[in-house]
Amino acid sequence: MARIGVFICHCGHNIASAVAVEEVVKFARTLPDVVYSDHNLYSCSEEGLGSIKKSIEENKLDRVVVAACTPRTHEPLFRRLCEQAGINKYLFEFVNIREHCSWIHAKEPNAATEKAKKLVAMGVSKAALLEPQVESESGVIPTAVVIGGGLAGLTAAASLVAQDIDTHLIEMEGKLGGQLNDISILAPNFEKSADLLNKLVSELKKSERGHIHLGAKLVDVKGFVGNFEITVEEEGVQNKIPAGAIILATGTQEHQPEGEYGFRKAPGVVTQLEFERALQRGEVPKRVVFIQCVGSRQPGREYCSRICCNTSLKNALRVVEAGGTAAIIHRDIMSYGAAWEELYRQASERGVAFFRYSLEDKPRISAENKHILVEVFDDNLGEGVTLHTDLVVLATPLVSRDDSGDVSRMLKVPRDKNGFYLEAHVKLRPIEFATDGVFICGSARWPSSAREVMCQALAAAAKAAIPIKRGKVVTEAITAWSDPDKCAGCGNCVIACPYEAIEIVDQDGRKIAKVNETQCKGCGNCVAACPNDAMQQRGFTTRQLSAMIDALVKRALEESS
Amino acid sequence: MTSKVVVVGGGIAGIQAALDLGDMGYEVHLVERTPSIGGRMAQLDKTFPTNDCSLCILSPKMISCAGHENIKLHTYSEIESADGGFPKTRVRIREKARYVILSRCTGCGDCIAKCPVKVTFEFEEGLSKRKAVYLPFPQAVPRKVTIDAEHCRMITEGKCGVCKKVCQAGAIDYEQKDSFVDLEAGAVVIATGFDLADASALRQYGLGTCKDVITSLQLERILSAAGPTGGRLTRPSDDTEPKKLAFVQCVGSRDSRMFKYCSSVCCMYATKESILVREHVPDIESTIFYMDMRATGKGFQEFVLRAERSYGVRYIRSRPAEVQPASDGRGVLVTYDTGGGIGEQRTEKFDLLVLCPALVPSKGTSEIARILGVELDENGFIMTPDTRNPIDSTKKGVLVCGFAGEPMDIPDSVAQATGVAARVAELLQEAR
Amino acid sequence: MSDFNPTILAFCCNWCSYAGADLAGVSRLQMPPNVHVVRVMCSASVKGEYILKAISQGVDGVLVLGCHIGDCHYMTGNHRTAKRIPVVQKLLKDVGFDERRVRLDWVSAAEGEKFQRVITEFVEEIKGLGPNPVREVMS
Repeated sequence: MARIGVFICHCGHNIASAVAVEEVVKFARTLPDVVYSDHNLYSCSEEGLGSIKKSIEENKLDRVVVAACTPRTHEPLFRRLCEQAGINKYLFEFVNIREHCSWIHAKEPNAATEKAKKLVAMGVSKAALLEPQVESESGVIPTAVVIGGGLAGLTAAASLVAQDIDTHLIEMEGKLGGQLNDISILAPNFEKSADLLNKLVSELKKSERGHIHLGAKLVDVKGFVGNFEITVEEEGVQNKIPAGAIILATGTQEHQPEGEYGFRKAPGVVTQLEFERALQRGEVPKRVVFIQCVGSRQPGREYCSRICCNTSLKNALRVVEAGGTAAIIHRDIMSYGAAWEELYRQASERGVAFFRYSLEDKPRISAENKHILVEVFDDNLGEGVTLHTDLVVLATPLVSRDDSGDVSRMLKVPRDKNGFYLEAHVKLRPIEFATDGVFICGSARWPSSAREVMCQALAAAAKAAIPIKRGKVVTEAITAWSDPDKCAGCGNCVIACPYEAIEIVDQDGRKIAKVNETQCKGCGNCVAACPNDAMQQRGFTTRQLSAMIDALVKRALEESS
Repeated sequence: MTSKVVVVGGGIAGIQAALDLGDMGYEVHLVERTPSIGGRMAQLDKTFPTNDCSLCILSPKMISCAGHENIKLHTYSEIESADGGFPKTRVRIREKARYVILSRCTGCGDCIAKCPVKVTFEFEEGLSKRKAVYLPFPQAVPRKVTIDAEHCRMITEGKCGVCKKVCQAGAIDYEQKDSFVDLEAGAVVIATGFDLADASALRQYGLGTCKDVITSLQLERILSAAGPTGGRLTRPSDDTEPKKLAFVQCVGSRDSRMFKYCSSVCCMYATKESILVREHVPDIESTIFYMDMRATGKGFQEFVLRAERSYGVRYIRSRPAEVQPASDGRGVLVTYDTGGGIGEQRTEKFDLLVLCPALVPSKGTSEIARILGVELDENGFIMTPDTRNPIDSTKKGVLVCGFAGEPMDIPDSVAQATGVAARVAELLQEAR
Repeated sequence: MSDFNPTILAFCCNWCSYAGADLAGVSRLQMPPNVHVVRVMCSASVKGEYILKAISQGVDGVLVLGCHIGDCHYMTGNHRTAKRIPVVQKLLKDVGFDERRVRLDWVSAAEGEKFQRVITEFVEEIKGLGPNPVREVMS
């Protein structure tokens, strides 16, 4: 037999003005397992909390029901109180008779009181079946693995080692830096990218926490937050790296515009990255025309790749600075924010020419002697313009890497329709995956400027460091579990689980479902998917919810008779 | 001993920074000037490009902040002074008198119901009135009332006292004084966000002179189901449903006479709002006057295309030259150039005009920069000149995240805010 | 029939609909007192059995409220709800109940007014349908 105490809150007159609180208190005493019932002017006040605590102790209550406001704000407060009074905090049940009753039935005191009784009866019936819970805790391997040694991966790894965390940086190429190696100058501050690269690499190398794996191929990833095992192949040998968290920083690649604007057919037509390499070699043509949105913002690939306009602005300025002329043919100049808009302003002031084309009327390219002719209908002027140039630079979008599908499958993390990795929430969880312990930064998520890449990398380093610093992963005890006696191993729950937290395992020669509590988020989707009632959610068991329905029915029948 | 970190600004950037720093084990003091955390995001109806309900996704973070074992909230508070420097900055926080005993106030609202004084409601962008004792919004954290001393009759004139009489919790205290909290911070984070530039200064756009010209943030409040009109979209002049709506981008921004920079988010939120208005008035027609359609984030370009194709939003590349009230005082006449060399001036009538003003560093930003001794850039944002450490201000141990550093959207602010936690951990590890 | 006072059960997901119901309360939106909310973490955790049990025991109507499609806190939970509830409705119809006794709707945390509207409309609808016929059998 449970010993339930029920506390009804007046909330000043917020509840009491519609609900006859004392009547509900009396009613509560008639409910099964209720050994004590009382009311408070404000249950959440110091005074209210003190009196509830005293009642718990004096009446040796083992379960507490508070009928007051909403659990969404006040449940933690009362759960803490239960703990202080020596009761497991999961033996507390909250009944909402303010937002869901007195406030919305303010002019119907009788009905509100009857409803409050039913809600209390439902809460008590659930409380009787509550069980003490232990929040599952699992250890965390104090090591991080960063996949990808470009700007994102380097920044993340440098931050982690600076936070005194053992970090393995896995780079498939023979050297660090990724695309930073192809770019000599970084916008908007026109700094040498080599300086930044050298700084990052030296920070990483001089720390004993940093472990760099070059020419290393990711082979397999197993495990879950706190306890991953990453298999990496180096020089034909496979090594297993245990880690608590993983950062994905695999970057992106430049779209190759085969067949567009004479690319690879006519001389003098290159991509932006090819142009970057030429600039690095000191080859600056006299006249350069940039064409934006080549292969993007059009049917088939609708997205804007964010950084191409700004890269063209930077490189056009470099051409102008070297005494040449530059023109940018665009559809919109995407120089968002303060620094990029300033770059756009500078480019305009220093004589970079801008022409705006529309998707329906793309520029045309032809060769004439040693020049290239670019014809464009400029929307701003409302007339056609012909440009003579030595070089045409095609600003193509960054696209997802060819191998990102393999990585995605290995890590069980999703990608969006364009192949970029899909974060847990586009607005508020940009660095996380829905899978705990795996984080994303840099252009593998979305094309980003160097500065943005570095901020995201710091964020990923923070997220990866949190479980490692805490040393444990604690899960709220609303997780699911499977009753092995009822489970038929059908696997419906495995399909229903959005977090891949359930697997079918062999137990005593039978196949049954097993929930990994560390991965379970407590949504209960598996519970409803289970045909055998084997799957249960802590705090929301089928018995508990059924008891609530029974209590409602019982009270409704009492009321009508 | 845990190291302490002071986060200045309780918007989404400050909230996220506080949560991640708290999760890392630092003792965080989150200082917010207004009575509740939440910031600008709390005012938004929905967020682009998914049209997620803003408060639905923000509110759980606000609640986590309040319940976090390592986070101490100082709402209705300001940084009074900061002395010394990294890694031991002595920070003094002024907790302004709200004339309410927080431990007693239950947020029941009895006092609000009875307060006789009505004043302009900041949270509702002036579209409705609040009382002198008020809750900034229903989901406020902490959910406690504040008495606005400037307007409270009891405090200004010594007569009234109604709120005290009706408060059964005994939470009203007219004698309350500002109090101070002194602490030694290992690091300080600036997350002071943005304000809207005063668009009425640009007289050609008619804000303040034409009734049916509003700001985009006012439209957010109007669209919000919990807003001043309960989500009913009407125009101010005659309270009727607008059927033809226009947005003007770059009001005061990308303008060498006002603010040179691009505010980064207006193209997208105007697109969002132009879609949302259709949920309120199904046959409404939206037009967006823009300069460059900067849809550079994930899913943004697709969002613009959806607005165009599925919602019939008309995008016109032009900066309107003039806005005048229509002759009967209802609606506005917008004069704009149709663009291109063959462009001509055209005047078109709209029922309602929404201005998207430049977003400027919040008014507390320069003040906090002065107190902390960090430099501002030419636009008034906190300067972050170090390429290697993009969220470091000009002073060691003072970090920046969100709009206070430069214009950016919510995910970029959140990423930076989380990044702050890593940078603080680096710095404090180094200082050990 | 005019004094018929239906008993209605509503399952609300923790993240959107329950919060929407809270907002309705905070905003003091008035609605009929017939609906009793059971909080679940996700609308997709509501077993069809709960609904069948409630209806078969005489509850006059069951509401299942979740986040709008795309807003699910658990990514795709509400897609499952959207598939499941019509199946439950069909089952009920097949055994002679009016399937309108079960309704699925989406209420966000900002839609206090929608919560009010859904509750009000549903109560009206159930009143129109009259008492759950099971009640006759039971009493």
